[in-house]
Amino acid sequence: MVKKILIVDDDPDVRLFNSTVAEENGYTAITAENGEEGYKIIKKEKPDLLILDVLMPRQSGLRLYRNLKTEKAFKDMPIILLSGIARRTFLRSQNALTEFGGEEVPEPKIYLEKPVEPEELAQAIKDSLSV
Amino acid sequence: MEKILIIDDEQDILKLLSMSLRADGYQTLTAPSGKEGIEIFKNKKPDIVLTDIKMPEMTGLEVLKSIKGIDHNAQVIIITGHGDIDSAIEALQYGASDFINKPVKSEALAVAIKRAKKKAAINRQLKSYTEDMELMCGIATKEFERKSKFQEKLIKISTDGIVATDNKWKIVIFNPEAEKIFGYKKSEIIRKLDARDIYPFDLSKMPDDKIFPYKETIVKSKTGEEIPVKFSGRILYEKNNIVGSVGFFQDLREIKRLEKELLQSERLAAVGQTVAGLAHCIKNILHGLKGGGYILDIGFKKGETKKFEQGWRMVKSNIARTADLVFDLLSYSKEREPEYEPYSPKKLIKEICDLLQENAKEHDIQLLCEVDPLLTDISIDSKGMYRALLNLTSNAIDACIYDHDLDAKHKVSITVKKEKDNTVAFEIKDNGAGMTDEVKKKLFGSFFSTKGSKGTGLGLLVTQKLVHEHGGTIEVISEQGKGSSFIIRLPLKRG
Repeated sequence: MVKKILIVDDDPDVRLFNSTVAEENGYTAITAENGEEGYKIIKKEKPDLLILDVLMPRQSGLRLYRNLKTEKAFKDMPIILLSGIARRTFLRSQNALTEFGGEEVPEPKIYLEKPVEPEELAQAIKDSLSV
Repeated sequence: MEKILIIDDEQDILKLLSMSLRADGYQTLTAPSGKEGIEIFKNKKPDIVLTDIKMPEMTGLEVLKSIKGIDHNAQVIIITGHGDIDSAIEALQYGASDFINKPVKSEALAVAIKRAKKKAAINRQLKSYTEDMELMCGIATKEFERKSKFQEKLIKISTDGIVATDNKWKIVIFNPEAEKIFGYKKSEIIRKLDARDIYPFDLSKMPDDKIFPYKETIVKSKTGEEIPVKFSGRILYEKNNIVGSVGFFQDLREIKRLEKELLQSERLAAVGQTVAGLAHCIKNILHGLKGGGYILDIGFKKGETKKFEQGWRMVKSNIARTADLVFDLLSYSKEREPEYEPYSPKKLIKEICDLLQENAKEHDIQLLCEVDPLLTDISIDSKGMYRALLNLTSNAIDACIYDHDLDAKHKVSITVKKEKDNTVAFEIKDNGAGMTDEVKKKLFGSFFSTKGSKGTGLGLLVTQKLVHEHGGTIEVISEQGKGSSFIIRLPLKRG
């Protein structure tokens, strides 16, 4: 069965770019504009992989990542973080949220910083889905 | 039971007296000569000594003197010959307690002994009083020493510099912290320097018994260095007389240094934030350009027109984003000079409405533009104001798009009208998401954005700057969940 990838990014260009990469590599791509919409789609569509931006209005990737990793049904869903925010900044923010009484969440396995080469993204998708 | 030593060379009298005193309930010791008597006195310490005055070898007076030499408080009763008044007086002069005449009558003896006993008791009491007094005095002195040492220590370890003077302004206390602040050694200053040369304020002008409150000021050290300190002081009074003065100094050098460092590091952090914010913007643009190129490549390879269009649109939109970013950065960094010309506000608003109408419709937002028809051309930098109004209007549209209330009938309006005091007001109003107080606070900070990867965080900063360049003001009214209103007011005639 063709694997389903959900792309969550507020930038339409990024959604188009990422979904084109996914489709060109033989996957089905669906998209959401922010964390809130993304979460609804995850519950409905149960995608095999999530490609997640960090800085988004409404609900950030920071929050969605936390919510998914602390939820039993989704904590093992592979996530690729793809953001203009540096990995270090993401981790620091997650640590701060943990310190403010949040549950500890694991570090993302794959974190890509924009801009990303299409080949690099394709490889990351392949790696995430093969585990 | 009192011990009484009887000294007499005549054995019979010795026996007689001894027997009679024992009968009265005293313990008696006897000595046949002065010499032996003194020995017994030394060893047995009798309470009272009864000695005959006329004895061979050593007279009673000599015995008296030597016993008084041993114990000044010893009670010695002299037995004198009948009518020998001179000897009796001499004996009293030498400290005899009393004298009785020979032949010794038992009543006279009893009285004399009673008196001696009383004297001894008084002596003992006196002695114990004196001893007590000495003891108390010793304790008091020790306590006083302890207290003064404690106070001395307190002054020594105080983190305030303490300088105290006598009533002639001569310094009498100069603690180690004061040494540190002023750079003087205690030894070169105590009783040598006039404190008025050190105090930063004239304490003598303070109203009576008032403390000079802590004030930040500068004092000069020995080397002439200017030391920032907090100073407080007061004149010391005792029963309305000036007895001295005291000054307290808190060294502010370290705090000042830290403040400077903090400022420096805050500035560096701001620069770092600016660079990081900029890098974030550029990364997003690059990502878009890369994506555009990639989709164009696919279009070329597969000959798919749709991919062509998509890719090309992406490249174009990201070139536009680059242009906007450069415009914003240049405006922000003052590289761009505003060009003023008479321009129609109506035309300006129409351009913006035309550009954004499609986007608004797409999100089901009503975009209204209303310009006072009586408004004539105004002198503005049209490119700058276009940018400013475009920023605010597209923000208003975004605020509607991001609003959680999806059922709301969203509306953005731009109105331009002349106000009384020769100003023209542009109001951009929306009923979108509105802002929290925290967002409002950061609104005009650099690289602050709530728009995710779309926002450069420069828009409002640049807008504000452009408005200020026009000599205008920008007002923000916003309530979370209700909407926001931005009002730009420009003077019709620029000063």
